[in-house]
Amino acid sequence: MSFKSFKPLGVRGALLVFAVSLGLGLIGGVLGVILSEQPGVAGFAMTAVMLSLVMAAALSICVWWWRHLDEAAREAHKWAWFWGGTSGMAVGAVLLMALSLRRDEVVLPQWAGETPPELLLNGMMAILLFQLAGYGLAWAWWWLGRR
Amino acid sequence: MKNRLKVLRAERDWSQAHLAQELGVSRQTVNALETGRYDPSLPLAFKIARLFEMPIESIFIDEEG
Repeated sequence: MSFKSFKPLGVRGALLVFAVSLGLGLIGGVLGVILSEQPGVAGFAMTAVMLSLVMAAALSICVWWWRHLDEAAREAHKWAWFWGGTSGMAVGAVLLMALSLRRDEVVLPQWAGETPPELLLNGMMAILLFQLAGYGLAWAWWWLGRR
Repeated sequence: MKNRLKVLRAERDWSQAHLAQELGVSRQTVNALETGRYDPSLPLAFKIARLFEMPIESIFIDEEG
């Protein structure tokens, strides 16, 4: 049985995690654009490797951050990810399925994409956004209920 | 689950921040514990008991018991 003591991250720590994550996203985005100019299988492989490295770095930050959370904070995130993320995904899925099943009636805006890869990627990102929105709301709900 | 954390803390004239530091949790967690809206894990409950030098059952009240 163990309960590891720690120093809570606080606002400064959370901001640091946010800034580093943002920086990683920026680096990944810039490198992604640069590598998209590389043709062929080699370019694809380099892009995949670069994205894997960025994601590995992001996960490392996530592990470090998680280890600095206490048990109530972890519980809030777990609860929020399950209930908020699942509910958000359900809402997003209803919307996306309705849009995909009623193509004749619905005219998609241009930003939604036109080619199949664009539509696939934007659909995935849309679901992710719904999940994150649900997660954020559920997280706030969990803490508000325990004030 | 109800508990006597708030009373025990007040008896020692500790702030929530001080108790949080002693327990290695955030002040928000101490607040959630004190209001009885968050039940601690067994390791944290034992840590609280050790800190106050009391048995767990003297701090946490089992309402179903």
